[in-house]
Amino acid sequence: MSFSAAGLLAASLLYLVILFAIAWVTEKGTLLRHWVRHPLIYTLSLGVYAGIWAVYAAVGVAADSGYGFLAYYLGISGAFLLAPVLLNPVLRIGRAYQLTSLADLFAYRYRSQWAGTLVTLCSGGAILALLSMQIQAVTTSASILAPDTSPQAISVMFSITVVLFAMLFGARRDQKSDNHQGLVLAIAFDSLVKLVAMLVLGGVILFGVFGGMGGLEGWLISNSSPATTMTLSVDDGSWRALMLMSFAGALVLPHMYHMTFSENPSPKALAKASWGLPLYLLLLGLPVPLILWGGQALAVTTGPSFYAIGVAQSLGSPGLTLLMYIAGLSAASGLMIVSTLALAGMVLNHVVLPVKTPRDQGDIYRWLQGIKRLLIAGIIFLALLFHETLGKNLDLSILGIISLSGVLQLLPGALGVIYWPEGNRRGLIAGLLVGLAIWVATLVLPFAHTTNLLALLDAPLVPDYSNWHIFTFISLTANVAVFALISMVSTSSNEENSAAQACSLGALSRPQRRELLAASSTEFAQQLADPLGRGVAKREVERALAQLKLPKLEYRPYQLRRLRDQIEVNLSGLLGPSVARDMVKRHLGFKPMTRNGTGQDIRYVERALGEYQNQLTGLAGELDNLRRHYRQTLQNLPIPACSVGEDGEILMWNHAIESLTGITADDVVGARLMALPEHWHILLDDFHHGDELHRYKHRLDLRGKPHWLNLHKAALSGPDHTEGGSIILVEDQTETRQLEDELMHSERLASVGRLAAGVAHEIGNPVTGISSLAQNLRLETDNPDILDTADQIQQQTRRISTILQSLMNFARTGNRAHANRYEPVTIHRCVDESINLLSLSDKGMGVHFVNDCPPNLRVLGDEQRLVQVFINLLANARDASPIGGTVRVSGNGDGYSAIIEVVDEGSGIPADQLDHIFEPFYTTKAPNKGTGLGLSLVYSIVEEHYGNIQVDSPANPDTGTGTCVRLRLPAYEPETGTTTISQNERS
Amino acid sequence: MYIYRLVFLLVLAIYIFSPNILDWWTSPGNAWYSPYLIWAGIIAIGFWLEWRRDPNEF
Repeated sequence: MSFSAAGLLAASLLYLVILFAIAWVTEKGTLLRHWVRHPLIYTLSLGVYAGIWAVYAAVGVAADSGYGFLAYYLGISGAFLLAPVLLNPVLRIGRAYQLTSLADLFAYRYRSQWAGTLVTLCSGGAILALLSMQIQAVTTSASILAPDTSPQAISVMFSITVVLFAMLFGARRDQKSDNHQGLVLAIAFDSLVKLVAMLVLGGVILFGVFGGMGGLEGWLISNSSPATTMTLSVDDGSWRALMLMSFAGALVLPHMYHMTFSENPSPKALAKASWGLPLYLLLLGLPVPLILWGGQALAVTTGPSFYAIGVAQSLGSPGLTLLMYIAGLSAASGLMIVSTLALAGMVLNHVVLPVKTPRDQGDIYRWLQGIKRLLIAGIIFLALLFHETLGKNLDLSILGIISLSGVLQLLPGALGVIYWPEGNRRGLIAGLLVGLAIWVATLVLPFAHTTNLLALLDAPLVPDYSNWHIFTFISLTANVAVFALISMVSTSSNEENSAAQACSLGALSRPQRRELLAASSTEFAQQLADPLGRGVAKREVERALAQLKLPKLEYRPYQLRRLRDQIEVNLSGLLGPSVARDMVKRHLGFKPMTRNGTGQDIRYVERALGEYQNQLTGLAGELDNLRRHYRQTLQNLPIPACSVGEDGEILMWNHAIESLTGITADDVVGARLMALPEHWHILLDDFHHGDELHRYKHRLDLRGKPHWLNLHKAALSGPDHTEGGSIILVEDQTETRQLEDELMHSERLASVGRLAAGVAHEIGNPVTGISSLAQNLRLETDNPDILDTADQIQQQTRRISTILQSLMNFARTGNRAHANRYEPVTIHRCVDESINLLSLSDKGMGVHFVNDCPPNLRVLGDEQRLVQVFINLLANARDASPIGGTVRVSGNGDGYSAIIEVVDEGSGIPADQLDHIFEPFYTTKAPNKGTGLGLSLVYSIVEEHYGNIQVDSPANPDTGTGTCVRLRLPAYEPETGTTTISQNERS
Repeated sequence: MYIYRLVFLLVLAIYIFSPNILDWWTSPGNAWYSPYLIWAGIIAIGFWLEWRRDPNEF
């Protein structure tokens, strides 16, 4: 059964159009987009690994070495089952530093452009053989189906389609997602087609040819030769070599690196793929023995490698035949597209950009895209050329071996990235060169039928199809040995050590805290405008700021260092790590180091440790817990504290200092002291740089109020910590200071009182003498003028006596010793007595007093002193009241307290005087009208009674007049006989 | 790094003895699909390990 060339071409084109449509719909619409991030799609897209091995080559190897073909699947299955220790670290590094290919990874880790270029050239050489293998498989399968077609035409048509697809869906770079979503879904579809075709063919053979499992068992018993039943003993050497190459393939094959790491949607997807890909490969390998046996049973004439097509043809099913052809086409196209794309990226970053940096380009993104498209076309053209000149004459398996043994040379360096921080660029490059030289001399040249150097030299072992594995191992061993030896004897640069630490498993980078030349994000854009152009530089800085969630204008040194790292990461995704690093190093440089060097970036390390929290176990976890405990202790310390680096950068800012200053830690940590508001900056900067270790009662006006601060400083340097810097404690002494002021005020008042009492006592005697003399004078004369004068003298001396008595009373208060003699006092009676006494005076005759106190309202106290309180309050109320006004005294009890209110209808007390009315000698009355001691006395007596006094003015908010004096005294409770006074006394 | 050394030794041992293991799987007395059954068993272990993994682990 054969097909016409046109029919086959139409079928091929139809399939590729479907592939284009899937990719296009995914990129344009949202219909398929949410599928792309599903782990199943990711796992299927990893099926690109199998290539045409799955459909054709595996059956060929199975015919030669039985189950030995499984090595190609089992090796990579092992690598994926070990994903947590092998692939996850690479994924982490790749995502963190935007490393999109193995060459990027090498260039970043070994800090060498040469390493990246060498990896690119090695991968390029090896991949050409792999691409040729795909072209050959498609061409041969098409030739089997349509013998009249020219193989060259098929290979050219096929290559053009692949170029078109890779250019359209692979070279485009989505700035937002960094993934080629259309490509991923199309490759997953390829893998699905391949799997379905293989399973369908296997099923058809099992049930159509053998009539089920029983029939197959019967056929196997009747054909019991080991070659037929695949029970050949596996050749140890080639099995191990194939296993190792397959294992390495997960990391070092460009298309596998691209699909596994660059197109990875999430670490979770990789975790699912760790068993998903082995399962996929198992299903793909399951029909292989069936196809082989089916081919043997049906005596198919094609070679075993193309049994898949031959069996379908023998079964006489055009549909099945076409399906198998499409499966081969999809396998080959998928692998070609992804590996070309990956290789083009590597060549761009490690061959083109180091030679020609895109200066003066209007749009750097478009320029890069154009170059990448050209490279894709160039690579496929080279592959086609290789195929036509060499590849088409070689066996599929030999092409595979040449390719895989070539990329295997990258395995030592790749494992060194994760597991061997001591490995350095010199060792890597030397090892790679030695390994590649042996590979070319013993595998590439002999098998390409060009030169067999060992045969020319009459060596005891000459490469042939049966011993290729020995030379694979020799090249790898030489590579590893040279890599290890040179790495051990040569030294690595600091930069390389720091990159090695950043890549090592579980290691943290410990960057230096150095000051950048650029002082703000705007200066970043200006400095990058030189290599990138103004527009791109601005866009890249804004993008990095947005990724780090920083404000549009950033000036904090710590955040600027983060911004610099982020820009380097982003540029690395765009231009490759070497070019990005050079660009950032040259244009976003650091200031020269100070003589003492600089400290570690504590904040950076802390942040990184915070992100690592869930991964730290054992001792590291315990230490991290301890670190968190001490950090929390400092953060929650109720004393405001901050730590400052030698260069004035704020390293820690605890909660207490946040509430004292009103500045959050997020705003200042990582910034200079200079960035603080002026008053704080001057205070802390001066104290930080000064010699004094303590500063007491420094006055600082905050929010319009004076604050008194004690500052203490301690140096951070010590035997375990050689870096400078200091920790500063800021104690807020404002409350203590206010208490001290109040105490001094009270002391002063007490002194005034004592002085007044002394003076009053001393003045009392002469005044009594003067009063007696004036009385005598009245008896000794009848002169009315003299009698009048004597009267006036007596009147004035009485007045002096009253003042003195008040002073004596005031000075006497404050003594609570006699509180034990208190007796129940009825407030109503006290108020009545006070009103009566006041009514004797001729003043304020027009004022009415109303006593509304309930007769049962009683307090414990000294009745005479309480009468004194009411006389003073009522006299004040009377003096303030207008003629005809009413002064009302009311009272009530609320259980523990008796509340008595004296309300007048006077003009009230101005608000600014309210605070002073209880001060001694303070009066609002006219001179000679009051001593200013009345309310002070009231206050003292109420205090003596454990009560309090409160003044509301105006009492009537509607009219704005009147004053209400409210006394609160402990109530007497006759039922129990106890009062709260006893509690008060205890207190 | 202790755990990684153990893993490395285990992987190396499996790798070195893998041809013998495969010979054992494909010995004439076994069914033709027995290598696949054992492979499926290893995948099941991989699935179980992934399933019980701490979700916070990277």
